[in-house]
Amino acid sequence: MKLLRAEFQNFRMLRDLELNFSSDPEKKLTVIRAANESGKTTILHGLQWALYGDAALPGKGEGFRLHPIDWNASEGKRVPITATVEFELTTYRRVSGDVRETRRRYRLVRSAFEDVDSQARRSASTVKLFALNETGASPIDAPEAVINDELPPELREVFFTDGDRALSFIEADVALSTKRERVQRAIRSLLGLGVIDDAIKHVRKSASEVNRKAKQVGSGSELNRIASRLEEMENDREKFEADLEDAKQQFGAFDEKVDDIDRKIAAALQKGDKEKLQKDLDQAKREIKRLDDQLATANKEHSALFRSRSIATDLLAPLLGRAFEKLEELHDQGKIPNTTIPVLQDRLSAEICICGETLESGDPGGEKRRAHIQKLIDDSQRADEIQEIITDLYYGAKPRQADGDSGSSVWLEEYKAVVERRDGLQTLRDEAGRKFRALEMQLDELPDTDIQGLRETRRQYKDQRDRHLSRQSSIETQLTGLRREREDLEANRDRLLREQKKGARILAELEVTQDVTKVLQSAYERITNEELHKVSELMNNIFIEMIGADPEQGAIIRHAEISREFDIIVYGPNDRTLNPDRDLNGASRRALTLAFILALTKVSEVEAPNVIDTPLGMTSGYVKRSILRTAVRESSQLVLFLTHDEIAGCEEIIDEAAGVVFTLTNPAHYPKMLVNDPGVAERKALRCECDHRSECQLCQRRADAQAELEMAS
Amino acid sequence: MADRYFNPFQAIDINVPVEFHEAFTRYCQRSADAVIDQSPFPRMVDLWFLSVCVAARLGLEPADTTKYDTRKIIDGSIFGSDPWRVHQLMLIAIGKTGDVHIVSEPRKMMTLASGLAVAGLPKVIEMLKDGDAEPIWNLSDAVDSLLRKEKAA
Ligand SMILES: [Zn+2]
Repeated sequence: MKLLRAEFQNFRMLRDLELNFSSDPEKKLTVIRAANESGKTTILHGLQWALYGDAALPGKGEGFRLHPIDWNASEGKRVPITATVEFELTTYRRVSGDVRETRRRYRLVRSAFEDVDSQARRSASTVKLFALNETGASPIDAPEAVINDELPPELREVFFTDGDRALSFIEADVALSTKRERVQRAIRSLLGLGVIDDAIKHVRKSASEVNRKAKQVGSGSELNRIASRLEEMENDREKFEADLEDAKQQFGAFDEKVDDIDRKIAAALQKGDKEKLQKDLDQAKREIKRLDDQLATANKEHSALFRSRSIATDLLAPLLGRAFEKLEELHDQGKIPNTTIPVLQDRLSAEICICGETLESGDPGGEKRRAHIQKLIDDSQRADEIQEIITDLYYGAKPRQADGDSGSSVWLEEYKAVVERRDGLQTLRDEAGRKFRALEMQLDELPDTDIQGLRETRRQYKDQRDRHLSRQSSIETQLTGLRREREDLEANRDRLLREQKKGARILAELEVTQDVTKVLQSAYERITNEELHKVSELMNNIFIEMIGADPEQGAIIRHAEISREFDIIVYGPNDRTLNPDRDLNGASRRALTLAFILALTKVSEVEAPNVIDTPLGMTSGYVKRSILRTAVRESSQLVLFLTHDEIAGCEEIIDEAAGVVFTLTNPAHYPKMLVNDPGVAERKALRCECDHRSECQLCQRRADAQAELEMAS
Repeated sequence: MADRYFNPFQAIDINVPVEFHEAFTRYCQRSADAVIDQSPFPRMVDLWFLSVCVAARLGLEPADTTKYDTRKIIDGSIFGSDPWRVHQLMLIAIGKTGDVHIVSEPRKMMTLASGLAVAGLPKVIEMLKDGDAEPIWNLSDAVDSLLRKEKAA
């Protein structure tokens, strides 16, 4: 899909706005120049609302007002809201060996009515899709299905990205499980794994049907009772699984809310002249995080002691000593061939003996010595299989064996080091925790009502979050219990079926469903892992290229990957893992998330736009340009919202890559930030055709204002 | 060693009596989120191998595994990831039987090791449980004293 045009009426501050996008494959970039608070976020919401409806709005649209906040009630008490998106789809069809490419244009229109009062009640939206052609527009049924195929809703966050929010794929503020879920969901939807999911569900259904047959065969008997119970359990399972999914999502949503409030509290402290407290809190939190990371590493080291070679070598020392004596005996008796064969062969090809005499084929003396050496080699090689293994064992195990003999235990040394590290870190961690709690007490005592209100809200959100987490644990426990009970019952059912006349056939049918499920499940896992690997590789390439120009980070960052657990991990020298929060600067964090998003889009092979707000925030110089250049190359259609600051220094790249550039202005920015009075009283986003190098009466900004605004945001 | 290395146990499964399966799920990390202090062993094979080592250390006789209802829990190919274990299993077999020829009979060696594992497992489980701390600490201290005591003897 390529975006062509969008149009909004009365969608928040987009009272009447038209956007167009470059669809030229040679000029893939569209730049919408806009200062903060000029409607960028609103456009992101508007596009997503047009495509996916209320589900794509913050809080799934609940309590999210759509009509302009300064709507004049005399213009009507029910506001019509519309969002239109025009796009182009390319389809490929094989025609007698050739691939024929067809492009079709479509228009999607979504509209709703909203009451102008504090409730802002909104009618369910209506959506229509039209195929566009020379003569007009013909309506198409099931618009949702078309959109879901072309821009899978699970990848919504990948196609429409807020540069700041996207950081939550990697930032430590959000719970690990939330980040994982996000990455996992995005990757799984890539290859349409939903298809396999559906197939698994289908097979489960047929297994239930076969179970019903078993129920009938054994009517009134034990078999009937068991089969009925299994039937009930299948319904329970479906319910539990839906609940679990819900709990996970709720947890993620509240986790984000807590995170959001934390940011607001930080901002309030800054304003309220409590910078020192804010700084201390921040530092204490970071210290705790750092120590927790180190503790986790120390725990892993402790665990590694039980898979180490040293624990085995030390424990086995007495026994291995005896075994090795046996081998020594053989060695002394000359029964273990020495490792001279390669040396001798070497000599033969060099044609000079170890003693310095010639081994040349033409030389009579050389010929004789050659024959002798060849015989030595042949004899050695005739050593039987056992001898070969023993030789391997003798030379392979010898060096370490010598350590074991010395009487000192390597493992005890390693264990001592681990204990010291863990205990030391734990002491520091306890200390940091105390410090943090003391700061929180200070915070509690602040007379600031704004801050106390925020903290109260935070407590509530955190309670909710924790409630959903514990709900998750209890559902998981129930599901495990259910699974165990089901396995037992199934075994019993199958045993009883075997005793029945008609049982054999039913049993065979059951086996088929079990086999198919297994195959599907392993396919699911395999594809996930393969795709994961592809995204991981591509993300790393893009990321390294983007930050390659940064000498400071270039020295620290070795590579990035997505682990099998769906964590995005960055590695430094010696495979040390880096903490994105602490070890990566703002530009690298931004580059990493952009690399992830671009890699996902590319691997998905879905031709889709990437619409990104503030992609270059916190970046500058070479790195900024390299991020922009790489993003243009890797995306099939790139729409960027850029502030004047983000554009600075990238003008030439935009000259070259952009097919469309225009500017949005918020008239409310006059007189603080705009030079001229736009003469518009309402809050609304205005468009002018100025590109990244020009300005007009409308969009001309005060020189100092831009910097101020950037600082404030 | 790498180019000459081979894993004779490649095709041999590791079978463990069902009564120990719970211990394997309890004490081995089965996901990245596992609580390490509660489940000290990175993989199942690590618990199995430690049981072999402990049995050997304590001079326990290999148990007769045919008397148990055993199930496969680990694939023999696991030793491919830690080649040194192949050498140690061979040396254990030579040490226990006094016969070097056993090295050409991987099944015999595995039977011996499995017998040792079954003999050692109850001991290792005891080491994990005995103490006031989490399993990882209980086990660490037990291994610590085992290494010191036997050395003094
Ligand atoms: Zn302008």
